[in-house]
Amino acid sequence: MEQLLVPMICKVDKVIQETPDVKTYRLKFRDEGMMEKFTYLPGQFVEFSLLGSGECTFCIASSATRTGYFDCSIKKAGVVTADIHNSLEEGDEVGIRGPFGNWFPLEDLKGKNLLFVGGGIGLAPLRSLIQYCIDNRNDYKDFTILYGARTSADMCYKEEIKEWQDNKTVNVVLTIDKPEETWTSNVGVVPKILEEVVNPVIENTKVITCGPPIMIKYTILSLKKLGFADPDIITTLEMKMQCGLGKCGRCNIGSTYVCKDGPVFTNEQLKSLPDEF
Amino acid sequence: MSVETFVTDKAGLQKFYEAVMASRETYAPVEKFGKFDFKRVARVTECDPESPIAKTQSIKPLFFPRSAKVMKFVATSAGTDVSETDEDPLAVKRAILGVKHCDARSLQVLDKVYNWDYIDTDYQKRRENTVIISTRCDRADTHCFCTSLDYDVENLDALDVLIVNGSDGKIYIKARTPKGESFLKETVTGQASPVTDEIASPDLKKQYDAFAGSFRLKMDYKEVNAKLSKIFDTPEFENVSGNCVSCNTCAFVCPTCHCFKISDEKVKDTGVRYKSYDSCNNGYFTLMAGGHNPRPVKYRRWRQRAMHKFVYYKERFGENLCVGCGKCTIACPVNISIFEVVNQVSAAGVQE
Repeated sequence: MEQLLVPMICKVDKVIQETPDVKTYRLKFRDEGMMEKFTYLPGQFVEFSLLGSGECTFCIASSATRTGYFDCSIKKAGVVTADIHNSLEEGDEVGIRGPFGNWFPLEDLKGKNLLFVGGGIGLAPLRSLIQYCIDNRNDYKDFTILYGARTSADMCYKEEIKEWQDNKTVNVVLTIDKPEETWTSNVGVVPKILEEVVNPVIENTKVITCGPPIMIKYTILSLKKLGFADPDIITTLEMKMQCGLGKCGRCNIGSTYVCKDGPVFTNEQLKSLPDEF
Repeated sequence: MSVETFVTDKAGLQKFYEAVMASRETYAPVEKFGKFDFKRVARVTECDPESPIAKTQSIKPLFFPRSAKVMKFVATSAGTDVSETDEDPLAVKRAILGVKHCDARSLQVLDKVYNWDYIDTDYQKRRENTVIISTRCDRADTHCFCTSLDYDVENLDALDVLIVNGSDGKIYIKARTPKGESFLKETVTGQASPVTDEIASPDLKKQYDAFAGSFRLKMDYKEVNAKLSKIFDTPEFENVSGNCVSCNTCAFVCPTCHCFKISDEKVKDTGVRYKSYDSCNNGYFTLMAGGHNPRPVKYRRWRQRAMHKFVYYKERFGENLCVGCGKCTIACPVNISIFEVVNQVSAAGVQE
C-alpha cells in the first residue's frame, strides 16, 4: 500500500465538447462530503486517473467560488488523454488526487488592473482565476482578457466567453491566427494583437499568461517591449509530472520542483532557473 | 546517556545473530548466482552479514520496493472501486543484518525527500520498525568513496548497531542510537561482555584508520558541489555521457535514487496500480503528451543525474544524493563512473 498515491473517486457529472480535441469534464466526488473538504485555489492542479489507462496531470479549470463541482479541460494529446476522450462519459467514475501545487498570487493581484493573455487550451488555468476574480470583482480594477486560438473552432469555453463579453466590467479581446469568413473580430497571433489592439496600461497592471510554449515566449517578449516588469508577468508551467508530491523526480528545473514550488511562477522567478523547460 | 559496547568473538557474534533472528523478522545478504541481495532469513547459515560490498545489492528495496502495488481496482460501467492491497510486509518489526555503512547512510538521505511536506507514511513505518545492524568494512573496494563525502563514516548515526572486527579476533558490538541500545538489551547474550569506551575506542579507531587508509578514490566534495553549481551548459556533459546506453541500471542499483513511475495493469475490469523504479536516464522520463521534452538528449539527462546528486539535492535538502558506494559504477555495462563524471565535469569548469 502506498497511501499517498491512492486516489479518491469522482463521478463525471457532465462532458462538454469545447473544441474538436478539447473536452471539459465536470467532476463531483462520489462521497458528497468530500467536496467541502476539497479546498483549492486558482492555479492548482490534480492527478486525474482513468483507472487501467493511467494517471495524468491537469490544472483545475474552475474556481472554488463556483461550488459543488470542479472542471478539468483535457486536450487529446497522448495515450491516456485519447483513452479519456474515447471512453469517458457522463456517469463514469475517475480517480482524483490533489489539489497540488501553488496558486496564483491572489493577494498581489488585489487592487490591480488584470490582463489575462491566453492561447488555446492555455485558457484552462486562467479560467479558474478569471472566475475567481469575477466572483470577487470589487477587489480588482480594469479587467482585460485577450484570448487567441488557431481557428474559431479551436476556442475553448465559447459559452462562457459570451458571458464575459456581456459583463460590462470585463473587456474581452479575441483573435484567431488566420481570417475566416464569418469571423468579425481580430486576426493575428496573440503577441501581435497584444501590442497593436490591447496596448495595455503598464502602471498598476499584473499580466497572467498561459498558452503553448511558443506563445508564452513571444508574449513575454511583447510584454517586456511594452514595458512590463518581470515580477508583474505571471505564468503557469506545464511539466511532466506523476506524483504531484515532490517525490517522483520528474518535474524539477534545477532544485525547483514545479509540482511543489510551482506551477505558477513570475517571469522574475523563471529567469533565475536553468534553461531546461 | 551511556551507550553500551560489548566485546565478543566469532562464535559470540553468531549467537548474537541467532538472538536477533529469534527476536523479530530478520533480513540479511543472501547469495544467489554469486551476488548478494537482502532476503528474509531464519538461520545464520543462510546468509553472510560480511558479504563483499561490490557484490551486494543495496537495502533500498526493503524501504522503497522495486515495484510495489499501490492498490487494486475494479472499473466497470457500474462503477469504480479501489481496494487496499495486502498488508505491507515491510512495515513489521524487523532487523537488517550486514548493512554496509554507505547503505545505512542512504536512508538518512532518503528520509529528507520522503518526509518533505507530503510525508510518506508507508516509508516512515518501514523505517521506524527497522533496526539497522551494520558491519563496518575492513577495507574499501575499487569504486568506494564514502569517506570523501558529506558524512562522518566513523561516527555514523544512521545505523542502530555497529559491528567492528577488532584486533586479536575481538569483535565489538556497539549501540549507536537509543533504538540500538534498547535492542542490544533485548538481544545480547552472555557470550558478549560489556566493555568500557576506554578499552574499546583505541581498537575501533585502529580498525577505522586502516579502513580509511585503503581508499583508491578520494575527492573534495565541497569543491565538486561548488564548481558544479556554477556549471550548466558545458560540452563536458556530452563527453562523459557518450557511451551511456540508457539502460537505467545505475539508478536501479543506487541506494539513493528514488525516482519512480506510476503505472496501471488491467485485465478486463480489474487491475493493479504499481509504483516502480524509474530513472532520469530514460528518454521518455520527462516527455509530455504534446511531444515537448525538456531533456530530449542524453547529455541533458546525464546532466540531471549528476546535478541532482551533487547540486540540486544539496541545495534543497542539505545532503549529497550520493553515498559513495560505487554500486552504479560496478553495475554499469559501459563503465561510466559517477565519481569520474562529477570530477571530470567540475575540473573542466565553465566554458568561457
